[in-house]
Amino acid sequence: MSALVRRGALTLGGLVAAAVLALLLAPRASDVIAVVVVAAVAAWAGFVGSWPTVRAKHPALARAMLTLVLVDLVVFATAFVSVPTDFNLATGAAMAIVLLGLSFLTGASGQISIGNGAFMGVGAFATAIWANHHATTPIVVTLVIAVAVGALVGLLLGLPATRLRGPYLAGMTLAFAVAFPAILSSFSSWTGGDSGLQLPNTVTAPHWLTGLFHAGTSALATNTLWLTDIVMVTTGVAFFFMANLFASRTGRAMRLVRDNDVAAELVGVALPRTRVIAFVVSAAYAALGGALWTLLNNSVSPATYGFALSITILAVIVIGGIGTIAGAIVGGVVYAYSTNVIAWFVAHTGLNPQGNLASQLNGIIFGALLIVTMMFSPLGIAGTIRHLRQRRAARERG
Amino acid sequence: MDSFLTSRVVTDLLGGLTNGAIYGLVALSLVLVWRATRVLNFAQGAMPMFATYLGMGLLSYHWPYWACVGMCLVAAFVIGALTERVLVRPLYGKPEINPIVVMVGYLIILEAFAAAIWSTTPRSLPAPFSPIDWRLAGQPVGLSPFSLFEIVTALVVMAAIVALFRFTRLGLQLRASALAPEVSRLLGVRVGRMLTLGWMLSTAVGAVTAILVASNFFTGLTPQLMDGIFAFGFIAAAVGGLDSPVGAVASGIVLGVVLQFVGDFLNSNAIILVALGILIVSLMVRPNGLLTRSAARRV
Amino acid sequence: MALTQWRRVAAAGSALLLCATLATAATSIGDAGAASRARTPKVPGVTAKQVTIGATVPLTGIASSGYNQVAKAANAVFKYVNSKGGVNGRRIRYVLEDDCYGTPGFGCTGVPNTVTQTQKLLALPVFATVGSLGTPTQDLVRTLLKKNGVPQLFVNSGSSDWNDPAQYPGLFGWQPSYPVESKILAKYILSTYANQNVCFLGQGDDFGTNGLAGLVAGGVSPVVTDFYSTTSLVATNGASIAPYIQAFQSAKCTVVYLDTIPGATDAALGAALQLSYTPHWVISSVGSDPQTVAAPFKSFGIDPEIGAVSFTYLPTPSSNSPWIKWMYKVLEADPADFPGFTSTTPLNGNIEYGVGWGVAFVEALKAAGRNFTRASFLKVLTHTTFTQTPSLAPLQYTPVNHQGLNAGQVDVVTSATSVKTVSNTVYTTNSKNGPVTVVHRLSSGIPAWLR
Repeated sequence: MSALVRRGALTLGGLVAAAVLALLLAPRASDVIAVVVVAAVAAWAGFVGSWPTVRAKHPALARAMLTLVLVDLVVFATAFVSVPTDFNLATGAAMAIVLLGLSFLTGASGQISIGNGAFMGVGAFATAIWANHHATTPIVVTLVIAVAVGALVGLLLGLPATRLRGPYLAGMTLAFAVAFPAILSSFSSWTGGDSGLQLPNTVTAPHWLTGLFHAGTSALATNTLWLTDIVMVTTGVAFFFMANLFASRTGRAMRLVRDNDVAAELVGVALPRTRVIAFVVSAAYAALGGALWTLLNNSVSPATYGFALSITILAVIVIGGIGTIAGAIVGGVVYAYSTNVIAWFVAHTGLNPQGNLASQLNGIIFGALLIVTMMFSPLGIAGTIRHLRQRRAARERG
Repeated sequence: MDSFLTSRVVTDLLGGLTNGAIYGLVALSLVLVWRATRVLNFAQGAMPMFATYLGMGLLSYHWPYWACVGMCLVAAFVIGALTERVLVRPLYGKPEINPIVVMVGYLIILEAFAAAIWSTTPRSLPAPFSPIDWRLAGQPVGLSPFSLFEIVTALVVMAAIVALFRFTRLGLQLRASALAPEVSRLLGVRVGRMLTLGWMLSTAVGAVTAILVASNFFTGLTPQLMDGIFAFGFIAAAVGGLDSPVGAVASGIVLGVVLQFVGDFLNSNAIILVALGILIVSLMVRPNGLLTRSAARRV
Repeated sequence: MALTQWRRVAAAGSALLLCATLATAATSIGDAGAASRARTPKVPGVTAKQVTIGATVPLTGIASSGYNQVAKAANAVFKYVNSKGGVNGRRIRYVLEDDCYGTPGFGCTGVPNTVTQTQKLLALPVFATVGSLGTPTQDLVRTLLKKNGVPQLFVNSGSSDWNDPAQYPGLFGWQPSYPVESKILAKYILSTYANQNVCFLGQGDDFGTNGLAGLVAGGVSPVVTDFYSTTSLVATNGASIAPYIQAFQSAKCTVVYLDTIPGATDAALGAALQLSYTPHWVISSVGSDPQTVAAPFKSFGIDPEIGAVSFTYLPTPSSNSPWIKWMYKVLEADPADFPGFTSTTPLNGNIEYGVGWGVAFVEALKAAGRNFTRASFLKVLTHTTFTQTPSLAPLQYTPVNHQGLNAGQVDVVTSATSVKTVSNTVYTTNSKNGPVTVVHRLSSGIPAWLR
């Protein structure tokens, strides 16, 4: 069977399958989404045969395709799940962006930040403050502004970081996380003090989208779907950029800094600049995640962005796999579903849900997971999976 | 007017010394662990908190106050030793973020366990001395027997630690193990034990601090007792230099006084902001602390 | 080589299969979703036999201590009513979602919960949210609930945010607003501590600013006013309060008014004790619960709160109000949520509070009749005066006033567990500049159908 025939057959198969799907779906929900999925599945099927070649020769193209297909599938799926599930997924996806930034900081430069919850807050408040003064700004522009503000604050704090080794930087970011809510309170005419801010307008689904649904479908459902898909697409873009950055020259230089900063300096890597870039990128990603949270919640409150959030972020990325891209996705899922899992656990063990133990169970489980992960598998879930696969591959070769 | 101004400055100074003594003690305990094992211990507040719950819990069984304090120290020694042996030892030689993350996990789990066992409701601890300020001509002077006790305790503990390091054989071994473990081992020093001892000492200093903080009127003992204090303690340690016990206590005391004046003359909401500013500026000027000799990093 | 080719084909095949399965699964979910959307009942959350309502409350996390009892107490009322056949033949199903007070802490990873959890309630659907807790948290979901036409009843907070019928026609507060409370206390200050220097310490949000506004509207102009930030309070273990108290002492204030949460009340009383400063304390009901405030002072043998003046809109547990006995009956009948509750267990403010608005909802539902919609329910709520209710004064909403209770009395802390009323006079006023007047028609007894 020649490669061409095979690819053609697969593409055809994909198209047929997709057409069946479209027939099943079209009368009810979303013609457009179904058609997009058709195209994606077909493209995917057509490329599967030559996937290794594409990946080897055009890595950026391969990453773009992978991102496109994944985002497409997720967007497709979001049209069919319940509103709270959508919301939860979107919250987790925005968190995954934040985790990705922290993962990059550590994975690419060996530094750690315990203040990324505060950087999220920077993005969240930048979005809310901007929207309150310029209500008509398109979402994309607002997000860019939030990212820029996040990067700027990151630069401000990152400058001392150029000269700091791990523990000092960790301590400094911790101090920032502790102080952040107080900073917000001090500028209460801008930030609304302890009550925070509301967005002037909620994000509403465009007509073409609402038109795809039944007339009786609630505005809540379509708006949440629209917002979720905005978050998903943004997440896809963020991941695509990061994957390229990881693979780029800068990314390689950063990994060298992580593994041996003296050697890196000897081969001409500008240490301070590399460190600052890593720190700024991580702050900007955190700000983007925070900005998306603001859109999702339609409001911000300073209490959300306290010390505990920073700790939570650190916990989920370590459990997911710090320093890896997949770890950020795993971490996002862990973040979105940990409460549900623990509530389920409490309900099925007969623990008194209002008791002291049940209300502290999250802390006990997260703390234990954090310690166990670092002691036995420092690359978290993602790293463990990768390790197992490599071992299997090695066994098969040998 | 003149006397009013003087009294306000003096009260602030004395109040600042009291707070600063606490920050200095937290900083000192951080320095002890750092010197011994090059770990910045984020659970430095939580471990003594746990020891304090264990020791001071005996008050409900009608143990005398000072016996309970003694038991707190015993509990602190045990917790410090166990932590070093079980959690920290496997991490030597690993990337420096590993112990940081483990200690954050330890902080989370200790606070969660404390809240699960003893609940988040504050427990009242008695103060061994009156916490009510002395008065001079009807005016409070900003110093109570208890706050004087806090200041004296901080100075005594610091002096004891310095004396231990400078003048005893044990102190020499402690310093040697921290600076040159391989050489020390060849010379017959039991390096592992010395590192454990460093953690035990540090946790005990922490326990003294936690008791002082919890005996304070305002709070009582809670699982989150040391969260805020830890941040100030870290700032003091970073400003003074993580290698210098004297620097840590000194910068803690100065920080306490400065922040007291900020709180009184500016605004008490500005305290944290000023502290953060001090940290950032001092780290930019001297990344290894204002009060340490700068040393070339070993490669 | 052949093997690798096979693997590729297999991979492609399984990818397709996966897509197909996913899509089929999604279709069936979509079907269910579409079906449920199509079959939306005439009144959401209401069937022939049941009314479903919900709330977001802090069941876990840092804010849960004490607050986790409030909605449970209301639910005890609902369970009690259900056991007697429900309201107009319908049982009440109360769904509580934990939102951790919106602060993602060690106890609650998975936030922002208030919005997520409110979305869950909307999807149920609920007829209304009843008794959700917290000013910042409920501010977050005002627009969400409004846009979905879901009434947001009896928000557990004294902010004036809930009384904005023009903007939020479905939003209702229950307890007297902070300015009402401080105006009534201002009257007491003017009559008891005439011509004395008053200093004011408030929380740096609605609570403090609304409270101060009421105090000033009531005719008391503090010589020093200060606002603390809760974040500084937490970060400094209460030490950030001391400078304010020192300033009050320097300003020779003999009356200090506190709009503080209990932790800040403790810090203020402790700082004063240290300075041997003994002003007359006037403390908002939010931060004056004697049991909570006394806790950190226990081992000192001092309770500096004794003698402090505060405010209440519910009968004191030591009074002979028939509602107090009724509360014990209701709570003892609910061992699931109140295990070990007996007639000797002290009744705390959180429980009384929950029972208070729980009864209010039950009575409003009864008044709405067997056939009601969201609109007709709100109409009944805003046109009825509920005179047989646990609060001291009747509960009354109007189309232009969504703050149900506007009256209460002054009490004084007598020990670490009890308060007594200064006089049995109940005062009322509004949140603006209206006068403080005596309420002559007080709430009377328990309606027969609830007994």
